Amino acid sequence: MPILKVDIRAKEYLTSKGEGLLVMSDLNFEIKRGEFMCIVGPSGCGKTTLLNIMAGLDNHYYGSVLYTGERTRKVNSDRILIFQDLGLFPWLTVRQNVEFGLRVRGMSKSGRGKISRKYLEMVKLGKFSDYFIHELSGGMRQRVALARALAVESDILLMDEPFSFLDAQTRDTLYEELQRIWAITRKTIIFVSHNVREAVCLGDRVLVFSASPNSKIKAVFKIDLPRPRLIESEGLMSEVRPIMEALKPEIGRSHG
Amino acid sequence: MDNRIGHVGLIKQVIFYIALLLLWQFIVALKIWPEYLLPAPISIGKTLLCGFSDHSFTIGIFTSLKRLCLGYGVSIIFGSILGVILFRYRTINDIMGRFILSLQTMPSICWFPLALLWFGLSELSIIFVVIAGSLFSITMTVNSSLRNMSPIILNVGRNFGAKKLNMLAWVMLPSVAPSLVMGFKQGWSFAWRSLMAGELIFNSLGLGFLLNMGRELNDMSRVIAVMFIIAAISILFDKLVFGRIEKFIQFRWGGIK
Repeated sequence: MPILKVDIRAKEYLTSKGEGLLVMSDLNFEIKRGEFMCIVGPSGCGKTTLLNIMAGLDNHYYGSVLYTGERTRKVNSDRILIFQDLGLFPWLTVRQNVEFGLRVRGMSKSGRGKISRKYLEMVKLGKFSDYFIHELSGGMRQRVALARALAVESDILLMDEPFSFLDAQTRDTLYEELQRIWAITRKTIIFVSHNVREAVCLGDRVLVFSASPNSKIKAVFKIDLPRPRLIESEGLMSEVRPIMEALKPEIGRSHG
Repeated sequence: MDNRIGHVGLIKQVIFYIALLLLWQFIVALKIWPEYLLPAPISIGKTLLCGFSDHSFTIGIFTSLKRLCLGYGVSIIFGSILGVILFRYRTINDIMGRFILSLQTMPSICWFPLALLWFGLSELSIIFVVIAGSLFSITMTVNSSLRNMSPIILNVGRNFGAKKLNMLAWVMLPSVAPSLVMGFKQGWSFAWRSLMAGELIFNSLGLGFLLNMGRELNDMSRVIAVMFIIAAISILFDKLVFGRIEKFIQFRWGGIK
């Protein structure tokens, strides 16, 4: 049974003029437990909307999302969405950020400490647990957001172009880190990206979306390269090219 | 390094104040204006000493601060409650928002005649003016801060399972804390100004009354001495109370926001 089965018949967006704009329709796909799936598409094609729907943060659509076979429309910490600008809490330390979900559940201080230590070590931020967010670099903030999501032991991580604001070097390190952490934790990851190379480097599968309005899944690519994959490796390029081919006309359409 | 710059700044400030006093003394020595219009710094010092030793200044300070704390306290509590109600219920906000804005923009001393007719020449009238001066600004701040809450922060809270009280205590309140503090500080300065205006009109012990008494006695050094006290209290609250809170916020939230 797939961990997530998405069947969105239609998702409309209300424009400022009060008209309904069809963002996407007939979107069907399944995600296996432990799979790393990447979604690429031109900007504005509704990728973020889709993540919000899968997280249960957006319920205004026709269709259904089945989580472990059951219809779900509620937000829940078994599916954690890591927002593009992360949404870290500036009033909490790194450790307190990571423990947030546990604190909300009413877990004891010692229990929380154990878990946050474990995941802060995992993302290599053990030494920074008492720092505040504004004292961290962009890459470190990414790691905090990741540790916070891991700490609640969610089944699914939904990531919305998380590395897009980082410099290339930091990003390359995080590609390796994310693959390592994924291998340890066996999470299911759905990763939205606008960078095909990144998607190929990370994903088991890459879904290509067509341009909005009314975007759909245009093509699905299975990536069978051995892991861990390096972003600069030669093998990646042969997988990137056909995806680029599929994506190019869509990007043209979204600008026109 | 930072500390040294701080010390240099302090020394510069001290030099500035000493220079100001010297200049003042110098102008007094020129005898352009008579002593009763421009008293020497030393005579103001004497008045201060005298006022504190016969307790008239101390009583004035405490009377004013008591009224201020009462009025400001009521404003914070009920202003915040009203702000949350406006945030929570859209219709009430639509109906009353403009009304409250107009109440807030009105100079608070305009409430004084009304307060006198309602409550007579009593403590209550002054406190009423203080409340009228600060409550609505606090309401507006609470309402607008809650409205400007980052939707992403809220969604993160929901995603991690925060509900109701958890959401309020761990997400909503801390996320608006910086703007709330700014609003409370503004409310404080409104309250303080309203109190001084009220006390100048209504003769009953407080600092405004002492100021007015100086005028009636033609005692310029008394007027200036009381002005010093008022300025000192303003700075004390600005730096010690709100300055500390702001430092705390800056320490956590970082520079901007």
